[in-house]
Amino acid sequence: MSGSWLRRAIMLVGLAALAACQRPPPAPAPADAAPPAVRYVDHVAAGEVLPPGATPQNPHRGDAAVARNGALLFNSMNCDGCHGTDASGWVGPALGDGRWRYGGSDAEIFASIYYGRPKGMPAFGGTLGPEGIWTLVTYLQSLPVPKDEATESWEP
Amino acid sequence: MYENPSNKGRSRPGAVVRLFLAGWALLAGFGARAAEPPRGEWTMPAGDYATTRYSPLADITTANAARLHPVWTFSSGVLGGHEGQPLVIGQTMYVVTPWPNVLYAFDLSREGYPLRWKYRPNVSPNAIGISCCDVVNRGAAYAAGKIVYNLLDGHTVAVDATSGREVWNVQSADLGNGETMTMAPVIIKDRVIIGASGGEFGIYGWLKALDLSDGHVLWTARNSGPDTEVLAKPGVFRAPYDEGTDLGARSWANDSWKTAGAPVWGWISYDPELDLLYYGTGNAAPYNAEQRLGDNKWTASVLARRPGDGSLVWAYQFTPHDNWDYDSTGAMVLVDLPIAGKTTHALVHFDKNGFAYTLDRTNGKLLSATSFVPVTWASSIDLTSGRPVLVDAKQTGATRGNVTGICPSLEGGVSPSSPPAYSPRTHLFYSSTNNLCMDFESRRSTRLKGTPYMGVNSPYHPGPGGYRGSFMAWDAVSGRKVWENKEDFPTWSGALVTAGDVAFYGTLDGYFKSIDARSGKVLSKFKVGSGVIGNPITFRAPDGRQYVAVYAGYGGDWALLTGDIRSEDPADVRAPVDYMKDIGRHTSQGGLIWIFGL
Repeated sequence: MSGSWLRRAIMLVGLAALAACQRPPPAPAPADAAPPAVRYVDHVAAGEVLPPGATPQNPHRGDAAVARNGALLFNSMNCDGCHGTDASGWVGPALGDGRWRYGGSDAEIFASIYYGRPKGMPAFGGTLGPEGIWTLVTYLQSLPVPKDEATESWEP
Repeated sequence: MYENPSNKGRSRPGAVVRLFLAGWALLAGFGARAAEPPRGEWTMPAGDYATTRYSPLADITTANAARLHPVWTFSSGVLGGHEGQPLVIGQTMYVVTPWPNVLYAFDLSREGYPLRWKYRPNVSPNAIGISCCDVVNRGAAYAAGKIVYNLLDGHTVAVDATSGREVWNVQSADLGNGETMTMAPVIIKDRVIIGASGGEFGIYGWLKALDLSDGHVLWTARNSGPDTEVLAKPGVFRAPYDEGTDLGARSWANDSWKTAGAPVWGWISYDPELDLLYYGTGNAAPYNAEQRLGDNKWTASVLARRPGDGSLVWAYQFTPHDNWDYDSTGAMVLVDLPIAGKTTHALVHFDKNGFAYTLDRTNGKLLSATSFVPVTWASSIDLTSGRPVLVDAKQTGATRGNVTGICPSLEGGVSPSSPPAYSPRTHLFYSSTNNLCMDFESRRSTRLKGTPYMGVNSPYHPGPGGYRGSFMAWDAVSGRKVWENKEDFPTWSGALVTAGDVAFYGTLDGYFKSIDARSGKVLSKFKVGSGVIGNPITFRAPDGRQYVAVYAGYGGDWALLTGDIRSEDPADVRAPVDYMKDIGRHTSQGGLIWIFGL
């Protein structure tokens, strides 16, 4: 019984988040917008049923001015200290190579920054808020993704 | 129970006698350092308190070392960089892995050296991202029947050396504030001396003494701040080149000493006659030095303290106002040298900044300092003031833009994780070196607890001469290099030298080598499966024979810098770096423990 109550509550929160993100871009998400549910669309879901939650979209996707701000934020929040200059990888993974440990969709990158990840990625949700995180997501999505070269060869 | 040839004639040691022998091993370090430890053991990280990494074992000689071959190997099951070294106590070899910091105890008295036990502590994976430079561990210490070591997430543990049961487990460092632990503790009498890593996270660096019996903190000494924090007491502390009080606070703009960095991630040495312990501190934080004007004492320094109450007796700063990430956490080797006709109680140190220093270890006065790799940031070290003579064009800071051609790189002329060895027979030091230079572009950095506090982009370039590392023999009396084996890649292993006049080291591309300690001539080499960044040790096994043990396991800074050698994460596939495009051809990650014998 409490389970179904909880489920309804989660769905309500999810719907609120969905509503927040259906506003026409580039209006920024309000600071109190609910964070997205973590949904790995490429991952296996038990019984093929995804857990409930919204799939928010980056309100600034493709906005070059926001991406430039995001580049500044990437350095000033010390992201570069772990992910390297220009997100090229350091103790943390490279973020501009088109490959993603926890998924590369808007919502997945947002969730990684908002909640943090195991192995030491801090949760920045409390410090940055949704708008700051979307700014970072916009920067990361603006990085030119090189051709995915799976082969490294030393043969001439 | 085996009987060592050197113990023949003595009654078979029972449990009580063995305990006594372990105590004797400790005591032997206090007095005659050159005497062979009982049964050829290796009971502390550097083999002795003086951190000489010299062994009196002499079965392996320059005449027979060509016959050295692997007799045993074991996968650690861990991929992180395998720095540090095993311990050998009695019939057991102890190995600490990188995170998750498993402790293995191998039974050297049985065929195949099977495990007696293994200890798997509950260590936080969050520590992986809070460690600046791979999840390394530099080893354990042994005393009074306990193996003591640090966990990456800031805990220190003591494990019963016989049963493998945990005796105590205490939180020593604050992971949330950017503190991790990678250094090897040293045990002096009844206290465990430890320090924290986190120079890249703006920690407030410290050294602590824990009670060996239960792990509680006996004293905490900060490496910066007012005298009350630094434990610099009137009448006890005397700096060889500085006057006045609160040097650790007054040498910093505003209150920047509170996030000084000054981590302690290297080695600790101890002189029982002077009752002084010595250790080096790491870089100042952040890397942008304009946010912390002043000398920034006591970062990039050597400090001498009393182990009893932690009080500071003297301190000397190798790199005032460090603006190149020149940590001084490398070993402080305690030797008595004939200088100007008299025997001097010396301390010899190979610094990241490219100079080899000889100090008087009774008072911290500088005796000599000469460069052992190409150096461009300073032209020399002034022996009167103890300060470097700076080259203005190579000073860095946010307003100086991209400063190019700084040698050595921030990997150091030698990495502090690659400790040297000293032979009282050849009177020479043996050390790995890196021949790399760098550009250094600083910018303002914000301190945000638990995130990096750096502010730099610092790409490397190979140094002059067409090689990127070496293994050298060094005369600390004349301040000269005696010979040098050039290596294609930066050389990151520690050194070992024995009374057989054989020295040992490993290479980043995965060779383990034995060489003639007098000439550097290679006597044997073997490809050990992964790059060597660990430190070889030697011991006498229960079968009475001398063996040499070393870890293979590429990593440390190189796990980040040469991301193409990694294969464990399909989401993070990096291109090779331009100054080391070829390393990925020769090695990959993976921890292995090797034992070599004749």
